[in-house]
Amino acid sequence: MSTSDRNIERPSAGRRSPTSERLPWPALVLALLAIAFFALPFVGLLWRAPWGTVGDVLSSSSVRTALWLSIRTSLASTALAALFGIPLAWLLARVAFPGRSLVRALTTLSMVLPPVVAGVALFASLGRNGLVGRYLDDWFGLRLPFTTTGVIVAQTFVAMPFLVLTVEAALRQLNPGIEDAARTLGASRWYVFSRVTLPTIRPALAAGAVLAWARALGEFGATITFAGNFPGETQTMPLATYLALETDPDEAIILALALIAVSFTVLVGLRERWLGGLRP
Amino acid sequence: MSLDLDIGVEVGTFELAVDLHVDPGETLAVLGPNGSGKSTLLRSIAGLIAVDRGRISVDGTVLDDAERSVFVPPDERSVGVVFQDYLLFDHLTALDNVAFGVRARGGSRQLARHTAHLWLGRVGLSDFEDVSPRQLSGGQAQRVALARALAVEPRLLLLDEPLAALDATTRRQVRRELRAHLQAFGGMRLLVTHDAVDAYALADRLAIVDHGRIVQTGTIAEITAHPRSAYVADLVGTNLIMGTVGPDGLATTTGVTVAVVADFVGPAFATIRPQSITLSLHPADTSARNQFTGVVDDIDRTGGRVRVGIDGPLRLTAEVTTAALETLGLRPGDTVWAACKATDIEVSPA
Repeated sequence: MSTSDRNIERPSAGRRSPTSERLPWPALVLALLAIAFFALPFVGLLWRAPWGTVGDVLSSSSVRTALWLSIRTSLASTALAALFGIPLAWLLARVAFPGRSLVRALTTLSMVLPPVVAGVALFASLGRNGLVGRYLDDWFGLRLPFTTTGVIVAQTFVAMPFLVLTVEAALRQLNPGIEDAARTLGASRWYVFSRVTLPTIRPALAAGAVLAWARALGEFGATITFAGNFPGETQTMPLATYLALETDPDEAIILALALIAVSFTVLVGLRERWLGGLRP
Repeated sequence: MSLDLDIGVEVGTFELAVDLHVDPGETLAVLGPNGSGKSTLLRSIAGLIAVDRGRISVDGTVLDDAERSVFVPPDERSVGVVFQDYLLFDHLTALDNVAFGVRARGGSRQLARHTAHLWLGRVGLSDFEDVSPRQLSGGQAQRVALARALAVEPRLLLLDEPLAALDATTRRQVRRELRAHLQAFGGMRLLVTHDAVDAYALADRLAIVDHGRIVQTGTIAEITAHPRSAYVADLVGTNLIMGTVGPDGLATTTGVTVAVVADFVGPAFATIRPQSITLSLHPADTSARNQFTGVVDDIDRTGGRVRVGIDGPLRLTAEVTTAALETLGLRPGDTVWAACKATDIEVSPA
């Protein structure tokens, strides 16, 4: 093979291909500023962190209680969001019914609602004197406000739309022929859904679950409004962090770093294994 | 014991209204251009859409009857389908794709894997059991799709444009393999295609569709010899010659050797478009390597064109204009010379 042939097959490093086209410099500067904007707060946290007391704070029982509560409730919310959200996404994607766009707007409203408003709305409906809440108490003895269950309800309320939207988009893109093929092979509707549809949209499902989980983990406004701030019961990490800021800023910074570490670990860990399929 | 259907299906403003049957052990090709309703027909038989009128029955069991409100869902029909783009499950291996039907019908994991193993072997893909469908070539994916459909032992196999997704080279090889697999499968076969050559290679009988209606049915020989309309003539009204490709060309069973351009030897069929045949009253001085003589036995006028049947060692149909016919002054009983270039003859392995 001659040198010229080789040049044709493999463009030399100096030659620009369309995909590696450089951005015009003003856009590049703005993009770099955006990156700095996201990086700066973390750097600030790390810089301000009282590294000497990290061990003491993290091993204190109140912090561990809050962290454990956050992990439990956020995972429970994610599970509930998946349990109800996947069928909802399927309904929105596949069944053409009157008022579908209205239902879609309604079920994703809590994404754009200020969380405090969501909390007040939950209070008015599921609170002890709320529209439905009073019957929950009378008939089932179930009290949601100011309980751990209430935390999970508040988190699910704001987190589920992230899963619904992601899964609905994936279901719309799915070739329905795949499901037809499964039906002709003798699969019932449920078998097709669980063995073909869900596995096929697995990357979107994982992405939606991670988004919902992250939203639940970081939930503050709806939780404090609807569930209050009782250590061990409803005081999740974001609440504990906010309260610590008033009394002991150093502790708040350590709590914030702990939350970041948990989120970051999960995102990075899931990315390769589960979200790999999302990339082209 | 057969597939019998007489149905009407409306899809938007399009209406499909067909009546046909397939006998056991027979391959029927439904041939027609894209948009003629072929896929709608297939989807109705598979149970993926319900018919608006009429009924479909397989071996006397009614699958769909609009008048009596009978509808058997697709998973309860004994109908296998090989889809045009195969529609393999990308999240499963080739083996699990083939095993899917057995599992879905309640078979044990062990039985499903055993059956799938057997079928992948039959289609020559034993070495590909753990491969993802995304890594298979078009021809291999088609074989997996065929194995997947046959693994549940359907009474009826439907094939939707089975060769359309393949490139020209693989197409010829896959066509031959597919023919062998179809013959090995004892049930009824129904394939839809827009390609007449695929239909000749794979089917015993043809049904020609146009705008949702069947315009002619019959054996391949019947239809190619006597297309009943210009539409059918354009689609299939071609000269079909069976024989064996050897060093001198294509030798027919009647002892005629036809000069062809082929890159293989062995059993083959050749098609010559009637428009490619030129006629003369005397042996012509031409570059065409084929010249056959015969007696005109049929003159069939459709529109401005005339199909001239020539009976000789090789039975041929030529299509000429009315003006050309009049210039030659041809009448039934006249002796005529038919010439055709070797490059105008399409040859496929049989």
